[in-house]
Amino acid sequence: MIAIGITVALTELLGSFGLSGGLLSVITYTILAAGTFGLLSVLALFLVWWERKVAGHMQQRFGPMRNGWHGWYQTLMDGLKLLQKEDILVATRDKVVFFWAPVMCCIAAFAAYIVIPFGDGLIVADLNIGVLYIMAITTFTVIALLMAGWGSNNKYALLGGMRSAAQVVSYEVPMVASILVVVLYAGSLSTVDIVNSQSGNFLNWNIFRLPFGPIAFITFLIAAVAEANRTPFDLAEAEQELVAGFNIEYSGMKFAMFFLAEFINLFTVSAITVILFLGGWHGFAFIPTFVWFFMKTFAIVFLLIMVRWTYPRMRVDQLMEFAWKVLVPITFLNIIVAAIFKHFGWYWEL
Amino acid sequence: MLDYIKGFIELIKGLGITGKHLGMHAVTLQYPEEKDVMPERSRGVVVLLSDKEDGSLNCTGCLLCMKACPTAAIIIDAPRGEDKKRVLKKFELDFTLCCYCGLCEEACNFSALKLTGKYEYSTGDKDDLLWDVNKLQDVGRDVDYEDKRRKKVAKKPAKPVVDANAKVEDKPAKAVEIKPTESADDTKPKTEGEA
Amino acid sequence: MSDLRTEEYDLNMGPHHPSTHGVCRLLLTMDGERVVKVVPYIGYLHRAIEKICENRSYAMCIPMLDRFEYVTSMSCNQVFSLAAERLAGIEVPERAEYLRVIMLELNRIASHLIFFGTTAMDIGALTPFLYALREREDIIDLFEMTCGQRLTYNYIRIGGVSKDIPEEFTPRCRKTIANITEKVEEYKRLLNGNPIWKMRTIGIGKLDADLALAYGASGPILRASGVDYDLRRDDPYSIYDRFDFNIPIYHNGDVYDRYMIRLDEIQESCKIVGQALDSIVEGPIKAKVSPNFKPPAGETYTRIENSRGEMGVHLVSDGSKKPFRLKARGGSYPHLQLLPEIATNCMIADLVAIFASFDVILPEVDR
Repeated sequence: MIAIGITVALTELLGSFGLSGGLLSVITYTILAAGTFGLLSVLALFLVWWERKVAGHMQQRFGPMRNGWHGWYQTLMDGLKLLQKEDILVATRDKVVFFWAPVMCCIAAFAAYIVIPFGDGLIVADLNIGVLYIMAITTFTVIALLMAGWGSNNKYALLGGMRSAAQVVSYEVPMVASILVVVLYAGSLSTVDIVNSQSGNFLNWNIFRLPFGPIAFITFLIAAVAEANRTPFDLAEAEQELVAGFNIEYSGMKFAMFFLAEFINLFTVSAITVILFLGGWHGFAFIPTFVWFFMKTFAIVFLLIMVRWTYPRMRVDQLMEFAWKVLVPITFLNIIVAAIFKHFGWYWEL
Repeated sequence: MLDYIKGFIELIKGLGITGKHLGMHAVTLQYPEEKDVMPERSRGVVVLLSDKEDGSLNCTGCLLCMKACPTAAIIIDAPRGEDKKRVLKKFELDFTLCCYCGLCEEACNFSALKLTGKYEYSTGDKDDLLWDVNKLQDVGRDVDYEDKRRKKVAKKPAKPVVDANAKVEDKPAKAVEIKPTESADDTKPKTEGEA
Repeated sequence: MSDLRTEEYDLNMGPHHPSTHGVCRLLLTMDGERVVKVVPYIGYLHRAIEKICENRSYAMCIPMLDRFEYVTSMSCNQVFSLAAERLAGIEVPERAEYLRVIMLELNRIASHLIFFGTTAMDIGALTPFLYALREREDIIDLFEMTCGQRLTYNYIRIGGVSKDIPEEFTPRCRKTIANITEKVEEYKRLLNGNPIWKMRTIGIGKLDADLALAYGASGPILRASGVDYDLRRDDPYSIYDRFDFNIPIYHNGDVYDRYMIRLDEIQESCKIVGQALDSIVEGPIKAKVSPNFKPPAGETYTRIENSRGEMGVHLVSDGSKKPFRLKARGGSYPHLQLLPEIATNCMIADLVAIFASFDVILPEVDR
């Protein structure tokens, strides 16, 4: 690595103040966590605004226009409004589960960012099981949604929670299978190693380098959209069928937390896509690495926003069918083919 | 397999169509700043029209509009005076009932009322939607209209009507401060006193 | 797993549900995601329009009936005026007939555009709704320019129409219908090939011709099931026999066909409007009708082809200036009754799609 990792740098900086041992790492990681949290909150606010703008212009409307230039702090105001709202509680709710569901959802959304490198060295902790960790931690979302569905004591919410559980668990399989191809070639589960394996020319990006890379990329992206619960796979909150699905009984800040988590998940899946297939922070010219990373990620986010506002929603059984009958065979076949290609060395390494 | 590829191409095409619209200009307006021009024939709020020369009300209190109104939104009190002419004592329009059908305008032979393109009269108080004669006339002062009255009543310029109007005419300055319902009551004794 | 106990449960869909198009309440008995039984409960929007009309003069009935089916108010105006004219034997001037046809067809297009938008939205695609409303706005502007209102027109009157079209109407109307014909092609490109759209619509909610006829279905829903029946051609009223237009027929009777038939009808209606604009004649726009309109005693059932099927008025006159009895028939009521028949044993998402494809409008059901 060219630059020192941000964690190492921070540790050294704090160490120079005479801190050491457990306290040093606690302080270091607290600062990093706070920084990441701040960054993500701002990002989520931006993404909400951006999605509304893109959707608006796509539909020949303006989208938010009132607060600031083209409504740039609209989301902030919405957040403030939600903060002031009365927290309406259903009398028959399951108190504990109902309360913890949004918290859980947020934790799952934020926790993935421990292993996501925003740039060269800009990573909280380079775990050697990075990708596995991401897969594990993002799946917590489904528990949160299930909790929300169950705790609300509402049939629509329960349906939404059940749908999302079935959906996320099903799409986990093709998602992991797509990732496996990448891992096979990178030879590591660490996100940093995976990105570094794609260094150099852009032809080295996994999408181009892997045999049938585009297929792995598309299957991964489809599974990722399903994981992020967005149209055409937003069955969990399917507005026209289940009104609002799992978050039907949530109001005020609890709803805002779900909303925040949703948009952070959107960024997460885009970031993972970039890390796995589009070379992570690697680019060319003198532009800083984190700029490259964000540019690529926003491109994917933009694509996902376009998809959301263009396509109809699938039906729940068709969704399952698609996962098990189409995506799973394709991705498994892809793994086998990739393994054969790898074995015989039929790929380039620039 | 071919179906999937075809489907995928169709999906991309769909993205192309929505993507194309991204570059187009919005068709909506930023409402309070930009306003659509209302067509001439727009049927918005009902106003009472005033004479173009002397600014008096055109209404003769003939009750035709009240009879034509399908929702009974118009309330007129115009008893006959001593010379058998109707004197307009009360003209109220209840916009909570009005269905903007325009039948009153068509029924009127004196160009006394018109549905205009004005529309920004929403209020938080339901009582404000009961407009009395002053408010109806004030809102309608700048309304241009085709006067179909002259042909019929030019010969006898219905005297009591003009009188009644003159009194109402003096009102507007007052009407601004006084609540609509009160001012409507105000009209009553005065009209009677002078009649 | 087979001894796992499962239970059916009731789900209240509506009256405040985003996809019940107003205030219909469906009581669903569900087995998981599967709908076992549908019971529609109606009446949340009952306003006693028929009774109100019996207490109003004939001229006053028209604004009341505007609210009968507010998406195509022109049809309501037309059917009532037609009934009253038949009772009184009034001959409508030719220009008025042309204006009526233009307005009715424009209104049909507007209604079908709403259908297109809401159906797409109910199936999950949000953007087509905005596109459809964008096109509809042009038509509504034409109406506003002509009669002053955007939704409840009160335009077609007994004996003719209330106002002649303004001068700039004809060029703008031509531009609008050209634009819409073009945009419908774009809608088709946007959705028809889309595999998700096809999955959600093809083969869903199949309605065969016999069942449709048995329930008294009419309009696009009947034609999507393969029955070639259109009152504009089979029971001609106004001057529809002068125009050259096709009546699209589809045979599968599924959601996709019901959607396609409406898009095709938009294009056919555009053709009719174009022809009417070409051949319109000058002349008076309203026959002489006394303000105290009193048709002779008698009764008539008059029906026209609305965008939602057969719209009829049974008008009984006792010779007074108020209708003795007015019974309004809308296409939506039988269609809503079809819902339990074809929506049982489908997924809840399909139920929404089927409901949307019927294009039921609740004020017409409840009256």
